[in-house]
Amino acid sequence: MGNPWIAFLVVPLVKIVVILLVVILMAAYLSYFERKILAYMQIRIGPNRVGPRGWLQPIADALKLFVKEDIIPSRAEKFVYIVAPALITAPALVVFSVIPFGADTTFFGLLKQPIPPYLTDINIGILFILGVSSVGVYGVILGGWASNNKFSLMGGLRSAAQLVSYEVPMGFSVIAVLLMAGSLSMVKFVEAQKQAGVWFIFPGIVAFFIYFVCGIAETNRNPFDLPEAESELVAGFHTEYSGMKWAFYFLAEYANMVVISSVATVLVLGGWLRPFPNVAALAFLDVIPPFIWFAAKVGFFLFCYIWFRGTFPRYRFDQLMALGWKVLLPVSLANLLVVALGVLLMGGAR
Amino acid sequence: MGNLEATRPFPDSEEMEISFGPQHPATHGVLRVMVRVDGEKIVDAKPIIGYLHRGTEKIFERETYNGTIPHTDRMDYTAAATNNQALVGAVERMMGVTVPPRAAYIRMILAELQRIASHTIWLGTHALDIGAQTPFFYTFQERETILDLYEEYCGARLTLNCMRVGGQPFDLPEGWTGRCGAFVDQLPARIAEWERLLTNNRIWKLRTIGVGVISAANAIEWGLTGPPLRGSGVKWDIRKVFPYDRYDEVDFEIPIGANGDTYDRYLVRMEEMRQSVRIIKQCLAKLPDGPVMAKVPKVIKPPKGEFYFSVEGPKGELGFYAVSDGTTNPYRLHVRPACFINLQALPELVRGHLIADMVAVIGTLDIVLGEIDR
Amino acid sequence: MSLWGFLTSVFQIDLAQGLSVTGKFFFHRKATIQYPEVRPEPAGRFRGMFGFSEERCIVCHICAKACPIDIIHIADHFEEVEVDGKKKKKKILDRYDLDVKRCMFCGLCEEACPTEPVAIWLTTKSYETAAYERNEQLYFDKERLQNWEGVKPYPGVVPPNMGQMPNDPTGASSAGPEEQKR
Repeated sequence: MGNPWIAFLVVPLVKIVVILLVVILMAAYLSYFERKILAYMQIRIGPNRVGPRGWLQPIADALKLFVKEDIIPSRAEKFVYIVAPALITAPALVVFSVIPFGADTTFFGLLKQPIPPYLTDINIGILFILGVSSVGVYGVILGGWASNNKFSLMGGLRSAAQLVSYEVPMGFSVIAVLLMAGSLSMVKFVEAQKQAGVWFIFPGIVAFFIYFVCGIAETNRNPFDLPEAESELVAGFHTEYSGMKWAFYFLAEYANMVVISSVATVLVLGGWLRPFPNVAALAFLDVIPPFIWFAAKVGFFLFCYIWFRGTFPRYRFDQLMALGWKVLLPVSLANLLVVALGVLLMGGAR
Repeated sequence: MGNLEATRPFPDSEEMEISFGPQHPATHGVLRVMVRVDGEKIVDAKPIIGYLHRGTEKIFERETYNGTIPHTDRMDYTAAATNNQALVGAVERMMGVTVPPRAAYIRMILAELQRIASHTIWLGTHALDIGAQTPFFYTFQERETILDLYEEYCGARLTLNCMRVGGQPFDLPEGWTGRCGAFVDQLPARIAEWERLLTNNRIWKLRTIGVGVISAANAIEWGLTGPPLRGSGVKWDIRKVFPYDRYDEVDFEIPIGANGDTYDRYLVRMEEMRQSVRIIKQCLAKLPDGPVMAKVPKVIKPPKGEFYFSVEGPKGELGFYAVSDGTTNPYRLHVRPACFINLQALPELVRGHLIADMVAVIGTLDIVLGEIDR
Repeated sequence: MSLWGFLTSVFQIDLAQGLSVTGKFFFHRKATIQYPEVRPEPAGRFRGMFGFSEERCIVCHICAKACPIDIIHIADHFEEVEVDGKKKKKKILDRYDLDVKRCMFCGLCEEACPTEPVAIWLTTKSYETAAYERNEQLYFDKERLQNWEGVKPYPGVVPPNMGQMPNDPTGASSAGPEEQKR
């Protein structure tokens, strides 16, 4: 690493390309796994025709979407209509720049010195994630509005209201965890959990629960999938979208699911750490590399996402608002108070 | 901006008119509802029907009496057996034919199986409308078994054509009663599973309790029948009030609700499935031997006159008003469809609710457009 | 709210119940039938593609009358034939056309048929009647009804002129054409 340009430009670029490719592939295969898992819960088999056991189904879907006719409704607001999918996809992908996928690693001895397997660690990591991912709502509301379709408009409006309402309890639940860690940096979260010797899910179970519920609502997934409730609004905000633009919405939805799961993993499930990181008796678990631990925890959350979708009915719009403002917000505030008191009694933030 | 304003139909209005259907995933076919909404709140809803009109009642007039039976299959296509039962019942009473006891019991078994099949479809689609996808597949698996039983009995799965004037066209095949008994024995466990998914679920309760409420007096005035009427607490069931076939010989209860909302109608239908299981078990135990066809002439010519006969279909009272002029073809065969009359109450039920509730109410009325439009 | 109700609500027991059901079915045997590879076998009485036997048909037109939608078209003429030295008039079948594309498979024609065994039947187990063109491929005259040209039979089923009989689509138990009663 003698040449500074390599460290400054080439390494991040390579990382960006790798992360982007992985995320996009992951989103594609998440759709495959969603279909497969849902099918298994519904005593079906699911996609199994393209490739062995249907493994190539996402690739075939992507190819199909690329060659599909791209329809722009004649009365749509063209510019906004075209920009909207990008507006939701870009933030969903940008957020991955600060998510720590693992500890510094040499990639099984491939490199001479260990490098961090994530793009960057900024000291306001969690704030950055909350801020950037909130931009995504523009993609939904503008897409719904620009389609000039009543169902789309209603989907867009529902989504806007839902996202605004659920950001608040989500933020408060994150603050509770933040008090325990004493930092905004994503890497510091994990390190704090290593120091404490326990995942934050045990002291922060309520915060975690609220965070996960809000996360499901933020990603518009069942049982909070009102913006695209198919039985009410046909397909909600993306009713009029087709081809690759439609695919962008789906890419963003799946990427957001991965983001929410990753953040939950980092905040309360100890990121890349093994269970009980300071108990020596469990040291044999260190054989499993850190990013496998990370992937496994994210995978668990994603499975829960799909499990919920397979099980629950959908909330109604006003009930969703009531749940957000009347239940989750007071509970998250009370939780914040309790956690703050606890942190104060235990000797203040580190 | 000028361009944008021109595309807005009512620039000054705060109310929006939405054409809900005829191609909408939640309207159970081709129902179209013109909804005026203020935000998401429904100001008025107007069902528009007729997209599936096939002139069935006119077609009846050029058919022989047995020839009309396949056409009734296509009215309420989720409950062909009860449609057949209503039609042949009307013609038999006009002719004064008594069905042999074995045929009557077979009819009851078929009709109750059909009730279960229809209710499983209803539960699956209703849950799907409210957002729960999975019950749909569980209920359809049980329905598949019922359709297999039908296929063994009469050779068709959906459009059964399984009754004739004067009795049954076939006797039960070998081993059918055993398979049917095995199916009804395991069904209550399945129903309990579906209930585990939904009955206590807080989201399901939020979505259904207090939605689409209709009082008993109102329900009677609107002429509602079937589960929508019983959900409001009116104990009215044609099987008990005017017993046909051999319903007076079996023991069953009429489940009723208390509040007349979507949740009560859900509970009523779930209980009805259990009662149907009870009836089928009794029928299988009591099934008499003997012929399945009464002595009827080859050419069916009811005497001049008219007759109204109705059965308790899965959706409500299904009646046939038959007018005969003494020839081989009916002069007029009017249908009293349950779904059509239940659908009337839709605007009343959804006014002031949200759009999402309308989907739930359409589901709870359990309409089939084949019967509404005929 | 009762204490139990409160606890149920806080610990999400109602939701966990639902999750347990879907979780259980995750490991359940799947109900899917992989159709083109696995063909479900229809029941014995299943009403499928038509079989027709010209030798058993007595040209009585009853099936055409029984058909609710009049898709059976029969044409005949009388011919004088000598039987045992006596001159007899005999009905000869000219056309027996069946418009399968409009058929609703109610089976009333089979029930109406007076011959024994019946001359027109649907218990053939063959249900793959889809075609790319309906006016030509789904219109059957008496020859096609017997030799099943262009029909895809259920595996093991033979065409009527190869020995298929009602309720015996494989023709196994009735090898030769039977003597016609009546």
